[in-house]
Amino acid sequence: MRAIVTALSLVLTSWCAVCAASDEDTVERTLPADLRGEVEIVNLSGDVQVRGWDRAEVQIHAELGEGVEKLDVQSSKGRTSINVIVQGHHNSGSSDLVVEIPRDSTLLVKTVSADQTIADVRGVQRLQAVSGSINTQVWSEEFSVKTISGEVTVSGHKTPAVANVNTVSGDVNLADIVGELNLETVTGDMQVSMPTLNRARIQTTNGDLHLVTLLARDGRLEAEAINGDLSFTLRQPIDAEFDIETFNGEIDNCFGPKSVRTSEFAPGNALRFKEGAGSARVRIKTLNGGVEICK
Amino acid sequence: MNHKHSDPLDRALGSLPRDVQPERDLWSDIRAEISTPSAATRSASPRAAMRLWMSLAAGFLLIVASSVTTYVITQQAAQKKLLVAQQAAAAQLQQAPAVAVMPASFGGQEAMSAEYLRARQALDAEFQRQIKTLPPVTRAKLERNLADLRRAASEISATLAEHPNHALLQELLLSTYQSELALLGSVTNLSVPTLTSTPSETRL
Repeated sequence: MRAIVTALSLVLTSWCAVCAASDEDTVERTLPADLRGEVEIVNLSGDVQVRGWDRAEVQIHAELGEGVEKLDVQSSKGRTSINVIVQGHHNSGSSDLVVEIPRDSTLLVKTVSADQTIADVRGVQRLQAVSGSINTQVWSEEFSVKTISGEVTVSGHKTPAVANVNTVSGDVNLADIVGELNLETVTGDMQVSMPTLNRARIQTTNGDLHLVTLLARDGRLEAEAINGDLSFTLRQPIDAEFDIETFNGEIDNCFGPKSVRTSEFAPGNALRFKEGAGSARVRIKTLNGGVEICK
Repeated sequence: MNHKHSDPLDRALGSLPRDVQPERDLWSDIRAEISTPSAATRSASPRAAMRLWMSLAAGFLLIVASSVTTYVITQQAAQKKLLVAQQAAAAQLQQAPAVAVMPASFGGQEAMSAEYLRARQALDAEFQRQIKTLPPVTRAKLERNLADLRRAASEISATLAEHPNHALLQELLLSTYQSELALLGSVTNLSVPTLTSTPSETRL
């Protein structure tokens, strides 16, 4: 019996050691909120999960890591702010937040070393991550995503929206976005599917693009790459005027005339033609990179 | 040999019998004791079994306890290793030369305006200040991407010097300079909420 008591006390001591090592605090808060209010979340390190729901409440479940001083939650005039306050810049542990917010809220999330996962939030979204991925769903409101290092995955719902995506380093995957798109990356590949494109400006320094879309009547598409290949699959009917030029790269097109060399002494190519009445405009430029256009 | 036989002790030892027979046969009693357990032994069996189970349980608990302790120690060791690696990366970054601000020009033909250069220098200084607050890996990525942009701008500018009227190169160079400014600007106003931050510093 003494042996069991000794062993049990050892086990308990070990569990306490584990508890002390993880040093996590759990915080649960529920606050009243406007159905179309604004929610801002700031977290230095960890995960942020935000889900939209139909209640006029913000509910927070936080697992605060080591080095976190407190979870600062404030609510005033329709605006709720949730900040993980740390003691220093580099010695904080990982804090995980799960936040439920009214579905039509405007959402602002700012993280440093944290992944963001947003689901069923239908208001405006402004998401920023220094190091960490962003995964969100969007409906018809404007959304803006900025990352310095991290992948971006956005799933649309085929409803018109204005999308602004800017990454320094990280791949971008946008699906079912309709309307207007401004997409810029320094390093990273881009996979974009837009059922209908009204306006798009896409720019990359080191990265490849594959865009699948139907150009809207009077639509505008501008794409530019310094070092990267640009590939477009355009759904029919195509009614657009094309102006494509590369300084050093091939142009492959499945329709229209063949491209021509821009200079006898330079490796560049150019392709200008009209398909249908030419109501939409497509302008593509690359320095070192090929262009492919197919139906 | 003769000397050995002449020793009285040897002679006495040699006279002793080689086998000694027991006075009675003990083996039959021993066999009976083994095959028939006593009443005391029979009554002690459940207690012995209990003791055996308790020993097993105690052993199991000790194994669990030692495993948990080992887990905690290894986790702490891993965290220490990670911290050391981060510090090493940070030290490496501090030793690495900062990304040089290239002189910006359009193919050597037109120098950029003084206002532009001042704005670029200010942004660069702020960029260098802000990235020190970022995790080493992110900082390295930012510096690498900034270097890529500046290298691209230099290459386009050099190519533009060879093809001064090339409209595409002019557009791409302008666009690259804009991307450089955008990258420099992306980390300005960057701050994380700490106890020493004012509310306005929590902007990312």
